[in-house]
Amino acid sequence: MMRRTTLDRLFGNVGSLGLALFLALTVNAQNTPTPDKEMDRVQAMISQARNDAEQFSKSGGKPVDANNPNLRWAAALWEYREKHPGTPATVIATIEALRLLNRADRLSELQAKADTLKPDDPAWKQVFYVLMSAASKSKDYSYLISKAEALAQAALDPEIRAQARFNIGDAYWRTKDNDRARKAFQTVVTEYPGTKFAQEAEGNLREIEFLNLGQPAPEFARTTLAGNPISLGGLKGKVVVLKFWGTY
Amino acid sequence: MGEVPLLKELYAQHLDQGVVVVGISLDDELKPLQEMVSSKGMAWPQIHDADQSLVKLYNVKGTPTYYLIDREGKIVAKDIPMKKLGGAIDELLRK
Repeated sequence: MMRRTTLDRLFGNVGSLGLALFLALTVNAQNTPTPDKEMDRVQAMISQARNDAEQFSKSGGKPVDANNPNLRWAAALWEYREKHPGTPATVIATIEALRLLNRADRLSELQAKADTLKPDDPAWKQVFYVLMSAASKSKDYSYLISKAEALAQAALDPEIRAQARFNIGDAYWRTKDNDRARKAFQTVVTEYPGTKFAQEAEGNLREIEFLNLGQPAPEFARTTLAGNPISLGGLKGKVVVLKFWGTY
Repeated sequence: MGEVPLLKELYAQHLDQGVVVVGISLDDELKPLQEMVSSKGMAWPQIHDADQSLVKLYNVKGTPTYYLIDREGKIVAKDIPMKKLGGAIDELLRK
């Protein structure tokens, strides 16, 4: 998450056309030409939804307006889900439907739909991000926390359980309940070692401990590209901006 | 890299006022980093954090991420957007 994947870097410049070509070639190489027509259909709905939303906002439409096309497309994608259970395209349709409801600020509808997802629905891996975004917009994390608590118990997929615990930690952290945040992150670290969530939870635990405003910035000493020694201690008396960045 | 011109301006404006910018690059490779630093004319010091130790130390989750540190070495802002950085620096300098 922090860094782009190798694939991103490879195709960053040529864009999705390059990626599509790469995937097409890979599929041919594996001799498994199974184009997913349903996936194409869902992707077409999604891109049409994006176009409509763009037009709508250009013409001055507001998210809460009743004629927000996001609502129509959310309904269409959800209907698709109900008619075609259990396919990869359904997962994508589900995630997008919920995302569109979030964009239209229909949070109670979003929650009612999320409630119908079974604990092991693969859509959860993305739906957590949608719920986190909705919670942070409304500054109300209670639904996300209760949902994640339930999934942390009920999901069979350890990745969903780890992600649920991680989201509980993140939600409490954002509401400044650091004790509960710490507890949840520690659970992720001990119960799901070696996962990306454990790694991120470890970083967050350190941040909660050592990287609060008003605390001394962690000391470091390195050599610059120009070959000069540099340390934070050596910059005392100056205002310092650290910019973490990359050329990619 | 739309932020580089803004940061350059900010750097030039505050250079004489005891403000230091330190670039910490997450690049794997040194060469593209060196090339961009010289082609964009980034005059501030650069650290190549190839082993990601500083990224870990500051729990950096994405790029770009800015930390603002006061004269005593204390964290004043983290994850501050570029457009708010200038104002935050001015406020620190008034203290």
